Amino acid sequence: MTGDDNMVVRIAAVGDVHMDQDVLGRFRPALEQLPERADALLLAGDLTRHGTEREARCVATEFGNLGVPVVAVLGNHDYHCDEVPAVIRVLEDAGIVVLEGTNLVLECGGTRIGIAGAKGFGGGFAGRCASEFGEPEMKAFIRTTQAIADQLGVALREMECDVRVALTHYAPVPDTLAGEPLEIYPFLGSYLLGQAIDSAPTELALHGHAHAGSERGTTPGGVRVRNVAHPVIKQAYSVFHLHAPYAGTSGRVSAISGSGSS
Amino acid sequence: MNRQPGTGEEPPDDYLEAAIQRLLTEHTEIAEQGLTVTRRDHSLVVCGEVESAQRREEILRLVLEHFPRLPVTVDIGLIRTQAPTEVEELR
Repeated sequence: MTGDDNMVVRIAAVGDVHMDQDVLGRFRPALEQLPERADALLLAGDLTRHGTEREARCVATEFGNLGVPVVAVLGNHDYHCDEVPAVIRVLEDAGIVVLEGTNLVLECGGTRIGIAGAKGFGGGFAGRCASEFGEPEMKAFIRTTQAIADQLGVALREMECDVRVALTHYAPVPDTLAGEPLEIYPFLGSYLLGQAIDSAPTELALHGHAHAGSERGTTPGGVRVRNVAHPVIKQAYSVFHLHAPYAGTSGRVSAISGSGSS
Repeated sequence: MNRQPGTGEEPPDDYLEAAIQRLLTEHTEIAEQGLTVTRRDHSLVVCGEVESAQRREEILRLVLEHFPRLPVTVDIGLIRTQAPTEVEELR
């Protein structure tokens, strides 16, 4: 942390690393440089290929013991084999904090960095989104997204911290999906996540999932959004320097409302 | 119509494209959702990037195994894992 250096918080992030034994060691040389480059590493889901305990051990080997806090959310791949509790246990045994609608405040050089995370889910974006209507399966789909977004919003708002970062796997805005086929946007994210992010003075929102998407976007409330999916950033991780004054103290983000965000 | 998609007897069509896309995602040895499958003349092109050379080889092997008579071009790269040379300053 460079707390005395004009209050700069340094966040490293990558998502969609899809670890298995064949990937072990590929990220490690770059990760070894993290203590000099970042205050924390955030992993934006799809840490494994199929969500097995064995693959989670590969994640633990590659991303554990880095000398900086590592905070993760899971992605859809990490749910595939229904071994989520075992995956989380393996990651947490390696010191990787897994957020599922929860938060964590890191104390770095006098600055409190609040990180709220949730996997997220699909549904689409305002004006072109699914609704809680019709068949039970359709209603369950949107209720799932709404419940996760609600948890994310609470997790963001309840933190007592100086700077807030939101971490999801699914996208909160369509901006960072540019490059993906329009037809699959509803499977890549939901405006409900963006609305949750805008309900708190969030400094930065990070997500993955959209391999063919693009890096930069903003929520309707003005929060910077970055797609850190590994195929998008094309490097071991990206580093963001967050400069004071932060959104929570400057009043830059004002959209604290439960109504529609666009 | 009862044709099995992907035998390679006919030019690739929408159904074959869908069959390959689902194979790439649902086959346990691949599980790749980020690859694109596009038709070009009488062949298919599979594009994208994966995390290891082993995965690229496995994709090629499985596509050839499932669609033996289909002309397929696999243009898949490895995602680079170097440390970043620049940071993004957010003010």
